[in-house]
Amino acid sequence: MARLDTAQRTRRLGVPAPVAVLAGEDGQPLLIDGREVDGVRESWLLEDRWWAERPLRRRYWEVVTTCGRDEVVFHDLRSGKWWRQR
Amino acid sequence: MFVSPEPLIVCVSILRLELKVAVGDRAELLGVPIAIAPEPGGAQLIGEVSDAAQAFGIAPGMRLGEALARCPALLLIPPDPAGVADHWERLLMALEAVGAAVEPMRPGLACFDARGLLRLHGGTLSAVLAKARQALGEPARFGVASTRFAAVAAATRARVRHPMLVAGGQREVREFLAPMAVSLLRGSPALSALVEPLERLGIETLGELAALPLAAVTDRFGASGRTAHRLTRGIDAPLRPRDPGESVREALDLPDASSGIQLERALGILIDRLLSRRERRGRTLRAVVISAVLVEGGGTWREQVTFREALSDPLRMRLALTPRLVSVPAPAQTLRLAVERFGPPTSDQRALIDDPASDRLARLREAIRQVRVAAGPDAALRVLQIDPGSRFPERRAVLTRFER
Repeated sequence: MARLDTAQRTRRLGVPAPVAVLAGEDGQPLLIDGREVDGVRESWLLEDRWWAERPLRRRYWEVVTTCGRDEVVFHDLRSGKWWRQR
Repeated sequence: MFVSPEPLIVCVSILRLELKVAVGDRAELLGVPIAIAPEPGGAQLIGEVSDAAQAFGIAPGMRLGEALARCPALLLIPPDPAGVADHWERLLMALEAVGAAVEPMRPGLACFDARGLLRLHGGTLSAVLAKARQALGEPARFGVASTRFAAVAAATRARVRHPMLVAGGQREVREFLAPMAVSLLRGSPALSALVEPLERLGIETLGELAALPLAAVTDRFGASGRTAHRLTRGIDAPLRPRDPGESVREALDLPDASSGIQLERALGILIDRLLSRRERRGRTLRAVVISAVLVEGGGTWREQVTFREALSDPLRMRLALTPRLVSVPAPAQTLRLAVERFGPPTSDQRALIDDPASDRLARLREAIRQVRVAAGPDAALRVLQIDPGSRFPERRAVLTRFER
């Protein structure tokens, strides 16, 4: 476990991390960090802070890779980048 | 006996497999304009079409309205996804029975490396192909090359009795692919989006794409462009054959056409039967396929479900599978459940005596104390919920010090 900085005693959990995703033309992930996607469990759209200058728009995908790993990734619809949520 | 140093990838292509299965024993229908109807509840796009329908300018994936406008006499036949899957599985198992390690690409298209089979079947490629043809028991086209992509391309040029062989290695494959249209890339779902922009840029053949600098293609099209460029130059990833599957499935004939709660009960019975099969050998299930035969010749319905984690608990399987029954488009007369993939063996052992909660708490406190002594005060932390209902996971909780 990473040690916390003494001055900063708290740290957010579940912060998204960048991930390399190859997606199909319909936006569905085909490869995640080189691992082939076996099946899509769920996909959903999240929009928030639409009233602010930097609104959040994300298309989430929960997928299972061929090695059996359950991954939740999202496509940031504003920046176009892919992130791993879990 | 000659054994090729290059891979000898054989592509097996069976044209209109889905249409043939949907037509069943009414083969005479293949001589008239006929197409597979759109899936119930899906996009209104037709599936595979017969030669006679193609003569009217009808193509798979066309909108139903446009197809009927081109040929008002067009016959539509309900799709049979479960039948196609069963038939395709039988063909794959037939190929595996002659020793082929098969990589299925889609129903009607599969590849295997023939090098390992030469010694088994007479030492020549033609003997291997004859054995495969005999095992399949139905007309198939064979394309052979040193890469998967070239073998598929060769199969499009082959005829049923005349396989297309691309002899040699990377250079020969590149020369073979050069005059072919870039639309061949549509065969790969990851590359199909490249075809339209390539054609718009005036790049019509695979040779023209191969002649471009790799850096320029990658810069313009990203990773998929790089993959396509490598394919056109005769470089492809190795085959990834599937593990020959075990067929563990259960079916239940329903006395009356069933839907709703009756179907849910039938599913519960199938789950219990599947989990009690000896072939499971204590393993969990990672993915299953539910399928149904619909009443009154309404075709079949099929859906693959991959579990979030490998399961062997019937209750959790019911929770995961029951909502899928909502999408069965019509009452069913048969319901089936089959294992698509097994997971690791489950461990059902439990502790003989449950620990009291106070003991656990005391042990936890002692563990935290020891961790802090060894690694400092920040070594033991706790998760503090700050906005547990937030739709954005990173706003729900923070990690903070554990206060005893």
